[in-house]
Amino acid sequence: MFHVTFYIRRLHSICGIVPMGLFLLEHVLTNAEAMGGPAAFNEAIARIALIPHNIMLVIEIFGLAIPFLFHMIYGLYIALQANNNPAQYGYTRNWQFALQRWTAIFLFVFLIIHVVDLRIFTKGGGTPISYALLDEMFNNMGWFVLYLLGMLAAIFHFCNGMTTLCMTWGIAKGPRAQSVVGKLMMLVCAVLCIVTIAFMASYKMH
Amino acid sequence: MSEQKTVHFIIERQDGPDSKPYTEEFLVPYRPALNVVAALMEIQKKPVTKDGKKTTPVVWECNCLEKVCGACMMVINGKARQACATLVDQIPQPIRLAPARTFPVIRDLQIDRSVMFESLKRIRGWIDVDGSWEVNTAPIQNPYTAATAYEIAHCMTCGCCLEACPNVGPQSDFIGPAPTVQAYLFNLNPLGSFNKDKRLNALMEKGGITSCGNSQNCVQVCPKNIKLTTYLAQLNRDVNKQALKNIFNK
Repeated sequence: MFHVTFYIRRLHSICGIVPMGLFLLEHVLTNAEAMGGPAAFNEAIARIALIPHNIMLVIEIFGLAIPFLFHMIYGLYIALQANNNPAQYGYTRNWQFALQRWTAIFLFVFLIIHVVDLRIFTKGGGTPISYALLDEMFNNMGWFVLYLLGMLAAIFHFCNGMTTLCMTWGIAKGPRAQSVVGKLMMLVCAVLCIVTIAFMASYKMH
Repeated sequence: MSEQKTVHFIIERQDGPDSKPYTEEFLVPYRPALNVVAALMEIQKKPVTKDGKKTTPVVWECNCLEKVCGACMMVINGKARQACATLVDQIPQPIRLAPARTFPVIRDLQIDRSVMFESLKRIRGWIDVDGSWEVNTAPIQNPYTAATAYEIAHCMTCGCCLEACPNVGPQSDFIGPAPTVQAYLFNLNPLGSFNKDKRLNALMEKGGITSCGNSQNCVQVCPKNIKLTTYLAQLNRDVNKQALKNIFNK
């Protein structure tokens, strides 16, 4: 017996933290440097560029692109298996369950736009990512709102995903443990959202 | 004499498995401690709608009338629950009744829940007592897990948890919380534990425990207050260990 569904589901769960969750945290931390002004942000980008190009490309393909595409495509399949019913059963966890799926569908579209635009066309086309580039991009209110919502959705999806991960892997079993994990992760979610709103707002405040 | 107090019902009806649903409204004479099943019995005696039109009696299932058999599960004011244990005094009016559409509707509020029996067979929801070995007196239950086993044994396969679960329905192959958690009950039993691996392997199949998305509606709606999410987490732990055994013990 080889339980394909079981192993794919568990792999999907692991991909959500490593590499996706870690990459999200890296994004929040690097982008938070924007609050220190253009020089600080560009310096943070330069630090990442210290990784040799060839090694970076291998990390990007095998450590990021493949796990991301797997999590996104299989996740969409999971999201479509749910008949969301928070209007009928308005419990907190059921709202979180529905939000997990709604953010999934939004992030699926957002990540494709984000990666194709900034990584493939801009950076791949030879234009380095810089504070000035993002500042100009965020002058357009449409891009600004899309990126802000994309970040907030990803943060919620990650934090709520950590809560359900603790249940899926049998880490938090009892009602008290599950409640503590849930509240703790929503606290992390709030902190990351505040940091994100702060660095996004900093583009509009200089 | 003062006017007779009535209870207003709006019932979603359906003449057959493939017919189109429609609603009919009824006024049932009020009496203290009236429950939904008793009200449906009144409609059965006098099948006349609110507008005075004669209609066919509303079909539903019930059996024990004391929240033990699970037969009268239906959607009452938007939530899955037992009609016999739902007192008219405790819920707002008009009272809306609908069949639990997670299951195939046979007629009106009557549904076909045989899918849960099939799921119980799938997870090996029984204890094998016959074999080619000597059968002695039964071993005692573990006194430390007996309370948990007793709690899970209260499950009456009413289907509330399946109706409330967003991952159970025609769009998904999830067997649902009730049959999944029953695997834990039989794994706890001293004789049942002989087949623990078989049950866990069955849960790892498509539509098994991996389809649980942790919406946790099941634990909220369970009329027997079974801590379904706790046992689902325990089973998740167990299937993960089983997966390691499957990989490394061969």
